[in-house]
Amino acid sequence: MKKIVAIIRDERIEETKTALEKIGVLGVTFFHVTGRGEQKGRIRSTASRGLLRREPGTRLLMPREQVPENGLPTDPAEQEVEVGFLPKLMLIIVTGDRDVQPIVQAIISANQSGRHGDGKIFISPMVSAIRVRTGEHGDDALS
Amino acid sequence: MIWAVIRPESAQNVIGALEQIGISAMTRMHVTGHGKEMGITAGFVRYSEIPKEMLLIVVPDNDVARAVTVIRNAARTSHGGSSDAGTIGDGKIFVTYVEDSYTIRTAEKIPGTVRA
Repeated sequence: MKKIVAIIRDERIEETKTALEKIGVLGVTFFHVTGRGEQKGRIRSTASRGLLRREPGTRLLMPREQVPENGLPTDPAEQEVEVGFLPKLMLIIVTGDRDVQPIVQAIISANQSGRHGDGKIFISPMVSAIRVRTGEHGDDALS
Repeated sequence: MIWAVIRPESAQNVIGALEQIGISAMTRMHVTGHGKEMGITAGFVRYSEIPKEMLLIVVPDNDVARAVTVIRNAARTSHGGSSDAGTIGDGKIFVTYVEDSYTIRTAEKIPGTVRA
């Protein structure tokens, strides 16, 4: 039994749900989280205007008064803005060992845009699962 | 994977400390909870859902001990004594094993054993 933890873009929730449904995965838990990767939450400033207010401690790489009103800096070097933690979606799926690869592939194909920030998938061993309603243990609790 | 439950007011401190040792990738979530003290009591009211911040960090095996030490040092709050001990409510750090991890952007497996 494995636990799959995936961190994805929050706007990809519908695509991800559809992709998982298609391969028969029905048990998923979604969390709204914030996060950042190796880029420390840098995004293109054109996309950042709505995000700048979201998180306290947000840092602009250039002083706020230098950001043009339309949010489109003329110098390409100035386009990256550090906004700290970005809204992300974390999903947790507990599944049998054999289903791990199809699920990983489904999550990747629903979320891969090729840009930084697509997310990560982590797979850990899971010791047991218990269905609360019936008290079933182990693999029975997943079927 | 390191799951650190810390005080919300220590979060910036911990994030800054991790950044200094080169760990900038992490996930952060607001949670509530209580420890074995069952919350705090103020007058006749017991508060058992205390706001906390949870950080999830995945680092290579070799960096786990260092990351945990850094988190602990940054999350610990002094209560005036000279000892190393912090204060009740500073939080807990859990470490679980990660077998495999993938970068969605490249669809590639991240090499090396990783703890998540």
